[in-house]
Amino acid sequence: MAELLRRLRYLFQQSRLQRELADDIEFHREMAGRSGNRNFGNVLRMQEQAREAWGWMWIDRLMQDLHYAGRILLRAPGFTVAAVLVLAIGIGANLTAFSLFNLIALKPLPIRDPQSIVRLERRSPEIIAGEMPYPMVAFYRGHAKTLSAVMATMGAPPMEFERDLQPVTVNFVTANYFSELGTHAALGSLQLPAQQSGPPVVVVSYGFWQRRFGGDTSIIGRVVQITKRPATIIGVTADDFAALDGQESDIWLPLLQQPYFVEGSKLLTDTDSGGETRMWARLAAGATSRAAEQELLALTNQLRKQYPKLIWDHEYILSEPGGHGKIMRPEMYQVAGMVGALVFLILVVACANLGGLMMARGISREHEIGIRIAIGANRKRIFRQLFTESLLLALLGSVAGLALSCIVMRITLAATDAPRWMSAIPDWRVLLLTGTLAVLVAVLFGLAPAWQVARQRQRRTFARQILIAAQLAASSVLLIVAALLVRAAHHVLYTDPGFGYEQVFGIAPGLDSHGYTPAAARVYLDDLKNRLRALPGTESVSLSQLPMLGNGATSYMTVDIGGRPINVYPNWVDPEFFKTMGIPLLRGRNLLPNEPNAVIVSESLARKQWPGVDALSKPLWRDGSKKDIIVGIAGNARIKSMSDGDAVEAYWPVQPANMPAMTLVVKTVGAPSAHLAQARAIAETLNPKLFPYIWLLKTGFRQNAEGLEKVTMIVSLLGLVAISMAGIGIVGLVAYSVSQRTKEIAVRLALGAKRLHVIAAVLKQFCWPIVIGTVAGVATAAATSKFLRKFLFGIGNLDPLSYAGAIAVLIVLVGLSAVTPVRRALRLDLARTLHYE
Amino acid sequence: MTPSGALPMLILRVLHSGSLHGYAIAQRIHVLSSEVLGIEEGLLYPTLQKMLLKGWVTAEWGISETNRKVRFYKLTSEGRRQLKTELSDYDRVSSAIRNVLNTA
Repeated sequence: MAELLRRLRYLFQQSRLQRELADDIEFHREMAGRSGNRNFGNVLRMQEQAREAWGWMWIDRLMQDLHYAGRILLRAPGFTVAAVLVLAIGIGANLTAFSLFNLIALKPLPIRDPQSIVRLERRSPEIIAGEMPYPMVAFYRGHAKTLSAVMATMGAPPMEFERDLQPVTVNFVTANYFSELGTHAALGSLQLPAQQSGPPVVVVSYGFWQRRFGGDTSIIGRVVQITKRPATIIGVTADDFAALDGQESDIWLPLLQQPYFVEGSKLLTDTDSGGETRMWARLAAGATSRAAEQELLALTNQLRKQYPKLIWDHEYILSEPGGHGKIMRPEMYQVAGMVGALVFLILVVACANLGGLMMARGISREHEIGIRIAIGANRKRIFRQLFTESLLLALLGSVAGLALSCIVMRITLAATDAPRWMSAIPDWRVLLLTGTLAVLVAVLFGLAPAWQVARQRQRRTFARQILIAAQLAASSVLLIVAALLVRAAHHVLYTDPGFGYEQVFGIAPGLDSHGYTPAAARVYLDDLKNRLRALPGTESVSLSQLPMLGNGATSYMTVDIGGRPINVYPNWVDPEFFKTMGIPLLRGRNLLPNEPNAVIVSESLARKQWPGVDALSKPLWRDGSKKDIIVGIAGNARIKSMSDGDAVEAYWPVQPANMPAMTLVVKTVGAPSAHLAQARAIAETLNPKLFPYIWLLKTGFRQNAEGLEKVTMIVSLLGLVAISMAGIGIVGLVAYSVSQRTKEIAVRLALGAKRLHVIAAVLKQFCWPIVIGTVAGVATAAATSKFLRKFLFGIGNLDPLSYAGAIAVLIVLVGLSAVTPVRRALRLDLARTLHYE
Repeated sequence: MTPSGALPMLILRVLHSGSLHGYAIAQRIHVLSSEVLGIEEGLLYPTLQKMLLKGWVTAEWGISETNRKVRFYKLTSEGRRQLKTELSDYDRVSSAIRNVLNTA
């Protein structure tokens, strides 16, 4: 330790200590001279040797190398700019992808002690549920000792605000929500009432306050109408307020006052349905997530005695870290991994490309390096010098890449209307990755060429061949993935989705949130159906438990069919559903009203479950024990999962108990938009307390398609970038090997060789690397693209057309980039070339 | 002849009887060894730097016999300890070598 301190002292007082040392040696020389010994060594060299003992010479050398590298790079500005640009694209793509992942999954929310926030969800071996009835939350809050605070949130359909046309997004939260998150009010207070009674209040978000009220500071205490019910504005959230799990909304209402805003709601007492509230908690000091799970399991078993019907078999509560932008699900990690792999391929192409450039440059520096070795530089030192150059380039590229990714992030955050706390400014994780990538790329593109150049072995073609193969492999994977996605998107957008949506609109009356009993709901729905049918221009009306192409939860069950997990999208419908949605019944018969134990399955489900066998009259699994008989087979209609190639559907008759959850779909003769206002009027006259949500299926379809188009566009862009870089890389490498063999080409031509033969001779060395690279790329794509299946609608992950298309594009590009430099070589002036050489 | 491995020990030993400047260290070793051992400057100063870093010696300003301001090297307590271990190590090794030479 003391030695280290002394060493550091030598670093910081270098110039003084150096003077003292020089003085010592000078004195020694004087004395030696006096005693007649004039044969004294090189004083400078002696000093250097002595200084070596301090252990800081490497800094001197590094500075020397950096200085020299800087001069070299400045002397070749064209090369430097090209190299930095290539690296900036490769590194920028990776940093952008990581920054997004960082914001969503890694960066703690700017709230008080984000590490101790957990999300608590119900689980059983069969069931995954994100939401639970409020009484369960209340029970856990009352009994759990490992949790210092329990919060509940509940999303709700958009609500009417004053008399605005545009409904506002809403979140109901418990009274402790804002104080537990440690946020402050931008205006007023965020103190929600802790009792159900008391005057109804509302907190507005900063963004909504700016948009709707223009930042008017006098709104505190103002009474506003929310779904025609008065409530007092008590506060405005902070500009950078971060809601849990990204549940931002325009207004925040007290969960305990939910029955006031949604009349008839039994949310706070109901234990019969699955529930709608999400549970969050803060772990008590010293308590671990595991300890909380164990305590909650014991509490769940107590709760079973109280509500035997509510608690499932083997139910437990899962605790997950909640203090991040989003609660990560396994499938989200899958997507993240896939994106990560794709952007990393871009980096590989960039590095291979730059490696080729570096090697070509090594040739032009052969002379310089020859001289340096001749005057006594050792190879190690030259290798170090060359690698320092690569490192400097990599650093410049990383800084440029970081700047690029910041710009892209800023645009992305602005375009997606991201919460204000999400910032495009890189945090330490992003900076750490930037540094790591800089070193990694320096090793990837710099190490091998530096080694070869230092040993003056750069004329060997092997390294060049590896570089070409690597570029081709990486770009063909990217191209194939892009081709698959483009084809899938095309398929989704331009082929029949298996159902009609142009002339259909949906109505979600929201009966369940207003506490309708099944019987009352049935009366209301029958009334509504009859009135809608009576409207001129209505073709048919039907019930559907899941909102078709509207907002709202998608529920599916994952079933193991033939060893592969298949997502089955269930729905509960009435017989008119198939006619309304334009889904053909291929075989068998329609469902009968309220028919028990009958089910209609989609064609692909029938084919997957019973390959080569008639599925009609076969029993279908449900809830493990009960079996339903398949009465009909419908056409495939991927309404709830437009782009999942594996999804299948099953339709059961409407269950009387589920009546309050029903939505309607209405098919019109002409364009449906004219009917929307009338439909709303009818729904509201039947019960003015409801605020039904009405939407066009066309809009939902377009929104889904837009998301898909965006993903496809980004991947295609990545593929395009990769292939252009690979193309430029190939042009460079071929041009370079042609320039090396100019003399040979000229001699051959002068002796009367056919041009075609000469071309073949020059290009021969690239044949195998191109073939091997492409084959490796195709094999990798084929092996890994099964992870893409969820995004590939209508085509297999081995779709031959996509592969053929990608390879064709690749071959054309490779051909073009290989032949161009050769053609130029063939046009050379023979006499002059031979003379010059 | 330069006793490279034993140089730190020799320096420590000559400094044991008092602080000396660099030239005097070389001279003293030369004289005490009856002019058998000659210390090269190219070795002396790196070794002294190393010993400074290890904390075995410290340097302080003094006036030389030629009336010049020069650095004198002085043994520290740590250096004294180091001298003791080096001497005992040396004794052990040299007696072992002698044993081999005598009996083989």
